[in-house]
Amino acid sequence: MIVPVSHVAALSAGLFALGLFGALARRNGIGILISIELMLNAANLNFVAFSRAQGDGSGMGQAAALFVIGVAAAGAAVGLALMLAIYRHRRTIAADEIDLLKG
Amino acid sequence: MSDPVGPLEWAAKAAFYCVAALTLLGGWFAVSQRNLFRAALGLALALFGVAVLYLFLQAEFLAVAQLLVYVGAILMLIIFGVMLTAGIADPAVPRWNRQAVGAALACGALAVGLVAAVLRAPWLAGAGKEFTLPLEALGRGLLGRYLLPFELLSLLLLGALIGALHIARKEKE
Repeated sequence: MIVPVSHVAALSAGLFALGLFGALARRNGIGILISIELMLNAANLNFVAFSRAQGDGSGMGQAAALFVIGVAAAGAAVGLALMLAIYRHRRTIAADEIDLLKG
Repeated sequence: MSDPVGPLEWAAKAAFYCVAALTLLGGWFAVSQRNLFRAALGLALALFGVAVLYLFLQAEFLAVAQLLVYVGAILMLIIFGVMLTAGIADPAVPRWNRQAVGAALACGALAVGLVAAVLRAPWLAGAGKEFTLPLEALGRGLLGRYLLPFELLSLLLLGALIGALHIARKEKE
């Protein structure tokens, strides 16, 4: 590899922390979805980097990354559909204003 | 990894760190912009950067899949979602909730801790046998060893498609 694997892992840790911050602190539901996609990408980057650094001949790392991409696509589709449905009912998608179940 | 360092290798290293910085910048835009459309563009930058990093790691198929699925499909879905839900750039709407400060502190600590641990960890040297996975091996793996998760994934995508359609459908009064 042209850079040590620890540098790729450090980048991925930074990306993950950014995504986690967004998911915790964003008010807008779609903003939270965007942050979750960032976190999934950080995990994927680690899969690929470790698979390359360890000479993974079975393709496990890359296959896992592909599955993560597929599951993320399913998650994004359902999440955005939920946001649209909530917006239609409540006229807002701010996560802290959606408190129908709060009694 | 201590090969004689040529100018080409220096250029490759520099390019790698530039792309890494751009990816982090895109991620920062994605979580910090008030205007959600700009946040989506920041996400596009980050996703594109990750695709280029896959190329650096010699995972060409994954790079193309990332561009097609993430930049092509998921990002478009997100932009549609942004445009269909109004009030995205309203300055009266706070962009962060009440726990933002605590979240920032916790995530900053997490980032520092993780990066320090990762940079200090004694990595198993992969016996020096770096290995570029041929595309054929990946394809055979997907239709052989990983066939069950592969097929389950297609089922999951079908279920998600039908579920998303049902949820987002207009209800008949």
